[in-house]
Amino acid sequence: MARLGWVSLSPALAPPGSVEGLELNTFPSLEALLEQPQGCDVVVLDGPPEAMGTAARRLRADHRYQLGLIYTSRAGDPWCAALCDGELPGDGAAIATAWQQWQERQPLFNRGQAPEGVDQSLLCWLWQRPGAAIQPVRDPGHAQIYRYPLVEAITADERLNSDGWLRQKEQENLLEGGDLIDRIRQCPACSSSRLNYVDVCPECHGLDIVRQPSLHCFVCGHVAPQQNFLKGDALVCPNCLSQLRHIGSDYDRPLENYRCRGCGAFFVDADVDVRCLDCCDVNQPNDLRVREIRSFRLSEAGALACRQGLGDNGAIGSYFRRLKLMDRGDFLKALDWQMAIARRYGKSSGSAIAALLGVRIENIEQLFVDVGEARATAMLEGLLERLQQIIRDTDRCMRGREDTLWLLLPHTSARGLDRVRERLQEGLERIQSSAGAAELSLKFVGCVLPEQIQDDENAALMLARLAGDLR
Amino acid sequence: MEPVLEQALNLPLLLEQLRGEDGLALLLLQLFPLFLVVELPLTLVVVLGVLRWWIREQTLPPRRSLYRPRVSCLITCYSEGADVRKTLETLCEQTYPGEIELIPVVDGAAANQHTLAAVRGFELREEWRRTRRVRPIAKWQRGGRVSSLNAGLSMSTGSIVMALDGDTSFDNTMVSAMVRHFEDPNVPAVAGSLRIRNTWTSLATALQAVEYLISIQMAKTGLSEWNLVNNISGAFGAFRREIIEQLGGWDTHSAEDLDITLRIKSYFGRHRQLRIPFEPRAIGHTDGPTSMVGLLKQRLRWDGDLLFLYARKHSGSIAPRLMGWPNFLMTVISGLFIQVVLPFIIVGYTAITAITLPWPTVLALSVLVYVVYLVVLSLQFLLMLLLVSERPQQDVRLIPILPLFPIAMLLIRCWSAVAILNELWRRSHEESSMAPWWVLRRATRF
Repeated sequence: MARLGWVSLSPALAPPGSVEGLELNTFPSLEALLEQPQGCDVVVLDGPPEAMGTAARRLRADHRYQLGLIYTSRAGDPWCAALCDGELPGDGAAIATAWQQWQERQPLFNRGQAPEGVDQSLLCWLWQRPGAAIQPVRDPGHAQIYRYPLVEAITADERLNSDGWLRQKEQENLLEGGDLIDRIRQCPACSSSRLNYVDVCPECHGLDIVRQPSLHCFVCGHVAPQQNFLKGDALVCPNCLSQLRHIGSDYDRPLENYRCRGCGAFFVDADVDVRCLDCCDVNQPNDLRVREIRSFRLSEAGALACRQGLGDNGAIGSYFRRLKLMDRGDFLKALDWQMAIARRYGKSSGSAIAALLGVRIENIEQLFVDVGEARATAMLEGLLERLQQIIRDTDRCMRGREDTLWLLLPHTSARGLDRVRERLQEGLERIQSSAGAAELSLKFVGCVLPEQIQDDENAALMLARLAGDLR
Repeated sequence: MEPVLEQALNLPLLLEQLRGEDGLALLLLQLFPLFLVVELPLTLVVVLGVLRWWIREQTLPPRRSLYRPRVSCLITCYSEGADVRKTLETLCEQTYPGEIELIPVVDGAAANQHTLAAVRGFELREEWRRTRRVRPIAKWQRGGRVSSLNAGLSMSTGSIVMALDGDTSFDNTMVSAMVRHFEDPNVPAVAGSLRIRNTWTSLATALQAVEYLISIQMAKTGLSEWNLVNNISGAFGAFRREIIEQLGGWDTHSAEDLDITLRIKSYFGRHRQLRIPFEPRAIGHTDGPTSMVGLLKQRLRWDGDLLFLYARKHSGSIAPRLMGWPNFLMTVISGLFIQVVLPFIIVGYTAITAITLPWPTVLALSVLVYVVYLVVLSLQFLLMLLLVSERPQQDVRLIPILPLFPIAMLLIRCWSAVAILNELWRRSHEESSMAPWWVLRRATRF
């Protein structure tokens, strides 16, 4: 029976007498819960929204409650939404079911090893909650406006830059960006978003500018500030001395003029400077760093990595490292280069410059469902081993999606490409014969440079075209 | 022609001749100068007033005052569309340093969406924001001009309230020129001057331009000197807030402008120090009807309403006890006689002359009448150009129109007779386009 910790954050709120199917422990404060040597399996926070948010932050910072289920008794503030598992799902039975699912998923993480370090803790938190995301929270008091409370709480000891960490994991393909929540501008010097946009004189960049309405006399064409026209109650042109009575027939206001009180300059449009309120750095709006605020989910590759192990032993990352795996940008550069070589020398050299091969495992999700985790992992490993044997030192690989691999094979003709394909297919058959009935189905697409390059195509376009054929 | 004029000055001889065989014809001939006997003194009153005003203007030192009350401009809008923006812009452009509150009231806003959109889309420039406010009112159901004015009055906060038309734009010194008069606590209201904005659109508008200059700008300047202003124009008038509230706002009928003028004037008998000045330096520019038919339709309404006001609604209040003698006489002569009775005399006289006299005599007589009127008109116009007009260079271009003006006026006067008969028999004020029937039906019948 799971231990349920019910924390009352306000003296006015009485905890329930019992919760069916769970061992209820009530605590009058968060401290009382944290002092307990024996942690609770599920925690329920009961109190005002802000108090629940603060308590959730402290709980997630405590290593015993970093990953566990934390519910709130009522709708909380955005901090609660980012840190907790939502409102109580229902009665004791519903909590018990959620706890059971949570428990069942834990041994599947990283081949049953307990998460170590910040990276694994955060990945594990996501792993334990399929579909969950690391959510940002708007905090106007914070220099960067948006914070990721979960990352901050779990990495509290290490003083990690949560945004930097998330981006790094995104580059490692473990996390993927979710919904775009906001786009903010940051000071390029200190990354603060507390910026002040001021209109300044375009000549001296002085702040002291005033709007100066001007008039245009229709009689003589004189243009001057309105003050120069005002004689008592009437408007009189200082140049031709005619009285201007009616806008539209005697005069108009052609210009929206500004005047700098510092240098005396007249101008139509003021410049805009951005002053950082934190570091006093002055920038142009175009020089600001633009940051997109997103939630982050576990990517398909990340999910696979969590399942197959994150450490060096058998980690998918190390498989790929052995496959001379490149990130997308480098791979595209290399492919662009090969395409450029193919275009220039392809006709004259007589031999093939390079070939591109796309391999997609069509049924990877189905495979895990059909044959179970261990079998499927073994089959994948076999396939990767086979790949490793085929790949030469000069070949380069890139992962597209979780189930797609791209191979750039220099000095490979159409025949060579077919050969690679055949050998992979042979290896696959061998794996399948040992694995029994289940089938790992591969789909290939190939392109030989320079013969099959289309006009005006670059590496990204070519990959997109071939990826379409793989679907 | 000479003997006729000589005879006119010799009264005993005249009476003797009237007893003769050609008595009737002679009587008719003598009747003509009688018009001059009534009209000339009136013109004289105006001319003397203008001279007095001009001398005062020239000799008074420039005034500087810190009197800057908040002014609320109630702008009645109906189907003017984008023209309303021009009105709002010219009001924002006022050089008046005090606060001006613009309250455009869109009547029948559900049907007049384009006017409503124009009003709502109007944005204050940065430099106006400190002293100008725009507070539009949308009256979804149509209620007429009076209901717009009263709705605007209830929402306004200024101590001076101006009733303005949505199709009238203003010179930028208008508000300061009008407000100046209210510094005198004995001024309950000020009349503003109107000019025709679309002067050169057609002959009809050019003729109206001359008419407005002579009968509004010049005539009211002169009358104002003797505190005899006959009407505070509906398109352009300013009122002290207390007086309007005292009067209970504008009253449901057509010609609400003349109505409120007469109601204010009925205090004049008891409060002799009260006066309604006319400000010739506060100019509003309004669009006149562009076709002759349009003009006649407008006058059918105006002149019919005049009889309704004088003879039906305010017959009791036109008394020396209420208005004081000068205004009583003025209303009787210029209002009742010239505007109501004279058209019939002119029509009757013209008809009888045409029937009884041989046509060469009729022609000669007509030429004489025409010449006399043209001479008087030219003198008035000259005086207006030299003394009153603030845009003499612009107005001088109207001189070629002057020869046509007496003919047009004759036509309009004859038309007045039709308008008055229309009101007498058909109660035309009850079919006014200024308010819908469901409002007029509820109004008190006179």
